[in-house]
Amino acid sequence: MASGPLLPVDRPKDGDDPGRCMDAVQHDQSDGAPSQPPSGPGAPLPPLPPLTTMPPPAQQPPPNLPSQHQHQHPQQQYQHQHPQQHPQPQPQAHLQSQQRMHPLSPPSGTAAKLLDGYAPPEGWDELRDAQGELRPHWRGLTGELERLGPAALAGRWEHALRLIRENGVTYNVYGDPQGLDRPWQLDAIPEVIPAREWEGVALGLAQRAHLLDLILADCYGPQRLLREGLLPPAAVFAHPGFLRACHELRVPGGHRLHLYGADLVRGGDGRWRALADRAQAPSGAGYALENRIVLSRALPEAYRECRVQRLASFFVGLRETLVRLAPRNRDNPRIVLLTPGPYNETYFEHAYLARYLGYTLVEGGDLTVRDDCVFLKTLGGLHPVDVVLRRLDDDFCDPLELRNDSTLGVAGLVQAARAGNVAIVNALGSGLAQNPAWMPLLPRLCRHLLGEDLRLESVPSWWCGLDVATTLSHVAANLEHLVIKPISGAGAAGEPVFGNQLSSAAKTALLARIAARPFAYIAQEQVRLSTTPVWTGGGFSPRPMTLRAFAVATRDAYAVMPGALTRIAAAPGARATESRQPQIVSMQRGGGSKDTWVLADGPVPHVTLLRPVGAPVELKRGGIDLPSRVADNLYWLGRYGERAEDTARLLRAGVLRLADDPGSLAGREFGALVRALRQTGHLPAEDEDDDEQDIGARFLALIHDPALPCGLPATLRGLHRAAFAVRDRLSNDTWRIVNHLDQQLGRRAPGAQLGDDLVLLNRVVVELAALAAMGMENTTRGPGWRFLDIGRRLERALFTCDLLRALIADGADHVDAGLEVALDVADSAITYRSRYLTTLQTAPVLDLLLTDATNPRAVAFQLAAIAEHVAALPRAADRALPSTEERLAFGMVARLRLADPQTLAIGEGANVRLATFIDGLANDLGTLSDTIARVYLSHLVSNPAPAATPPAGPGGGEV
Amino acid sequence: MRYRIRHTTTYQYLEPVAVSHNVVHLAPRDSATQRCLRHELTVSPGPAVSHERRDYFGNRVGSFTVQDHHRELVVRATSEVEMRTLAAPDAAATPAWEEVRDHLRAGTTPGGFLPLGPEEFLHDSPLVPTAVELAAYAAPSFTPGRPLLAAAIDLNHRIHADFAYASGATSVTTTLAEVLERRVGVCQDFAQVLIGCMRSLGLPAVYVSGYLETVPPPGVERLVGADASHAWAAVHCPGVAGTHGDGWVHLDPTNDCLPAERHITVAIGRDFSDVSPIKGMILGGGAHRVAVAVDVIPMAGR
Repeated sequence: MASGPLLPVDRPKDGDDPGRCMDAVQHDQSDGAPSQPPSGPGAPLPPLPPLTTMPPPAQQPPPNLPSQHQHQHPQQQYQHQHPQQHPQPQPQAHLQSQQRMHPLSPPSGTAAKLLDGYAPPEGWDELRDAQGELRPHWRGLTGELERLGPAALAGRWEHALRLIRENGVTYNVYGDPQGLDRPWQLDAIPEVIPAREWEGVALGLAQRAHLLDLILADCYGPQRLLREGLLPPAAVFAHPGFLRACHELRVPGGHRLHLYGADLVRGGDGRWRALADRAQAPSGAGYALENRIVLSRALPEAYRECRVQRLASFFVGLRETLVRLAPRNRDNPRIVLLTPGPYNETYFEHAYLARYLGYTLVEGGDLTVRDDCVFLKTLGGLHPVDVVLRRLDDDFCDPLELRNDSTLGVAGLVQAARAGNVAIVNALGSGLAQNPAWMPLLPRLCRHLLGEDLRLESVPSWWCGLDVATTLSHVAANLEHLVIKPISGAGAAGEPVFGNQLSSAAKTALLARIAARPFAYIAQEQVRLSTTPVWTGGGFSPRPMTLRAFAVATRDAYAVMPGALTRIAAAPGARATESRQPQIVSMQRGGGSKDTWVLADGPVPHVTLLRPVGAPVELKRGGIDLPSRVADNLYWLGRYGERAEDTARLLRAGVLRLADDPGSLAGREFGALVRALRQTGHLPAEDEDDDEQDIGARFLALIHDPALPCGLPATLRGLHRAAFAVRDRLSNDTWRIVNHLDQQLGRRAPGAQLGDDLVLLNRVVVELAALAAMGMENTTRGPGWRFLDIGRRLERALFTCDLLRALIADGADHVDAGLEVALDVADSAITYRSRYLTTLQTAPVLDLLLTDATNPRAVAFQLAAIAEHVAALPRAADRALPSTEERLAFGMVARLRLADPQTLAIGEGANVRLATFIDGLANDLGTLSDTIARVYLSHLVSNPAPAATPPAGPGGGEV
Repeated sequence: MRYRIRHTTTYQYLEPVAVSHNVVHLAPRDSATQRCLRHELTVSPGPAVSHERRDYFGNRVGSFTVQDHHRELVVRATSEVEMRTLAAPDAAATPAWEEVRDHLRAGTTPGGFLPLGPEEFLHDSPLVPTAVELAAYAAPSFTPGRPLLAAAIDLNHRIHADFAYASGATSVTTTLAEVLERRVGVCQDFAQVLIGCMRSLGLPAVYVSGYLETVPPPGVERLVGADASHAWAAVHCPGVAGTHGDGWVHLDPTNDCLPAERHITVAIGRDFSDVSPIKGMILGGGAHRVAVAVDVIPMAGR
């Protein structure tokens, strides 16, 4: 049940993960699959101080809670900006902009080099025809690029790539330690497809989607195709995607397949064919959109000049469809995007689409079913959900009626759908249509169901379960040219196998496996993929490519996205048959992507999801539907941000002293710092064997060693993780800071000096301060902000208590050194000196850091802020008596107001009094943290009910 | 023969449960040899919503959600069933097992596809994946040309002989491969071994969840609540009526017998996961205890 924002990365299980949605060509069929988040408590916790309140060991970003308002970052709303604001390109403006941006563009001709070295291998090339001539529809683009010249293009592209990194466009690669959060791979050159050609593809896609939808309707309904022998039983029953619980499930609008994706390849004859159908939660549409935005900004002139069809119309269609499907509240339905969570490979896309479409991004734990209806759990209570756009594979969606070993779903969701109270897109059970065994059956089914010929053919495929004897002998005879794929990626049948990669013994073994369970395999012709140019930094180079295209069900037809996600192989080798290397185009395997420009015949109409200027907009303030899970993550984001800053300040104080005087390892102030580091848990408790050099090395390791659980790198990693979990709520600027912080620490360079460490720590402190400022200045004062700030205040109060305990209460022998360090680390030295000149005394320092409610570093200041927050939290509103958290906070505020720094600082037993006072505060702070977590954040998690009736048999009974 | 069946499941939780979603298969099916005269399901505390419907396999399935905080949940099913018996099938008269397998594989089964026909129960299911080990275990029973039912009865007998019954030896998470390797389990495991063997040979098999009337040794009084829910398997044999008149012959590997009127069928599916008597998801609860009491009481007279 563990896993959460605070977990260090743990790879999602690969084993039973049917996921790999972006892994396509000549490859597996699954899509949109969940990756289980690291399950089990195995994941080590970013440990921290033995403080009273630690980040709890990896709580599942919790479900269920009370609460209140949504906070919206004004700047976080995604702007879909079209570089061109007018339907018709205006030549005048165009010229001006070009001149403005590229006064030094070389005249055309000099840059013809771009294409010079481009030598596609045998087969279809997208750019050049068989005679080596440029295909006409590429002229617009190449002309513009040549005008731009390689140097300028390289410059533009570097800039674009930096934006991708900074905006955190990512793709998670399973099984790779660096895989989480890998920058999205995008190429500078778009794939270009002429209008006329795309029309044909689009007609084919729409027909194919319609056909699959009809077959699904039959399988989950009357099963006539089975009775009439048009669909062999094994084509349905042998596929794990056929979910019996979803049979006769009501589907709003009559469709099961609302969003359809297909992987298309172009063979040597120039025809597009379908390699795989994606029917449950096709991924990639959001990446296509992101690619478009990057490309249209990087190459605005070419984009305008080429009259590229807009993608927005597709998303407008999707939004209309989802609204129409809502069983109720059709004027303003609540639509959520259900994600498996940040560990899923395409999580970035989920967050991105949710923002673009204006939906709440939710995980299974954010939803609950009551009275056969689905609700979003928020700080403000339960809010009904009308439509669920899911990116979770269907069998993971409901642990009650579907796979019960998954906690990613929502218990009771199937029943809610059955009762007609929620629309799920795509319908549960639609994964069946990904069954590649259907591919060879489609032409016949198309004629039967639609009375038409299939327009978009599949890559030649043979299902071994059909005409078994004939098919098996065909497969055996042609294995060299075939790819053998299991019908289900998840099954025991294993991975796709390329016939020409096998030894003859392996071939025999494979054929025997197929013969034993023929229905479990298809054989597909190995296609020589077409090639398309990629930007090498100085010119063009050919790479094999595939296309993922999308269609959305509209009221009476399917609308196809006028564009696609083009994916390219990681390596150039397109000569599949010659090199014997399989052609795999897969994001999981390091492939890249391209924007796909479908050209328009005429002017391009301007469509945008942004409201037209002047349209009345209903004014809103702090939404009331902040999911509890988000509040939890914001709380820990606050705590980690502060913890990182405290750690960096402590370390910086130490480095400063060491740099001033290398002998200071033995000095009093450094000794005081070491005491503080032990109190906060950064260094282990005192050990008699410690010698000075050891301490020095351990101290430096805290700055650099990512393996140290309390070290700065691990803490920044924790910060990144918490931020990642609420990525969709953070502004780009905030995210950029978090990303940058995470990227700059690593092993200390061999020759590094203390001066280098100091520079690094200074930078970290400044960036953390910037992050804190973003939280204060750029966040609306909703409950989300309150949780962020409570986290930060609690952490700082605890830290300051630790400082005072270690440096003053326990530091009686070297009081001056302790006071000096305390003021320095708490960033209050200036204030002190302005108030007291240079006399360093305990009582004024205690006042400044403990009881002075005007000093933002003092414990009293933190508690005043916390008390205000807890009083404003939603629960407090409708209650006569103060809540536990209010009592605790008010109690501490009162104690601090009444405390007399003089008594705590001076006289017999002052140290003991101070220690007792601080320990009391630290203890209550811990209780307060636990209380807030219990009441608002960590909650009841869905559990499988105890293994129902144990199927004990009457073993003994006599029969 | 008539039976009254009482099946009571009591959950106790350490912490309050806020919401409890449940799906139950507790109402006996009707068939040519079995008639459910009465069925009543009571749940305490009372559920906010409850439904009954037929599931994909034609079983009566109940679902209910308890939305009041509770520390105890009691689910009580009471049924009355009338049973009769058909003549025992003539095993020797069934076709050779290879013939049945080949027809199914080629899609040439006489009569074509019918809903809930053998084609539905040929393939891997969540708890019963086919495996070469299962086929190998079954092989000695399935000698060339042997009539299907004769081979299946022999397999049923061998499972009874080779596997030790030990309640608690397996849990919900024990895999079929582990059961086969350790040769120990309970009725559910034995039924699934038999099913896995059949499917691994390309032959269909069904999981049956139900009850069995137990008879105490002479002179000992029947203990109340001592019975249990039971599970066995069924194989499809062309040419015979089968236990319920639908071509499926039931086999009970736990007791090495062919079920008749003392085996009351509640639900059929591909494996336990399709027909679990009660499954639920709760919000909250903490630690818990479950107690199950089943009584299968023969009713006097007719």
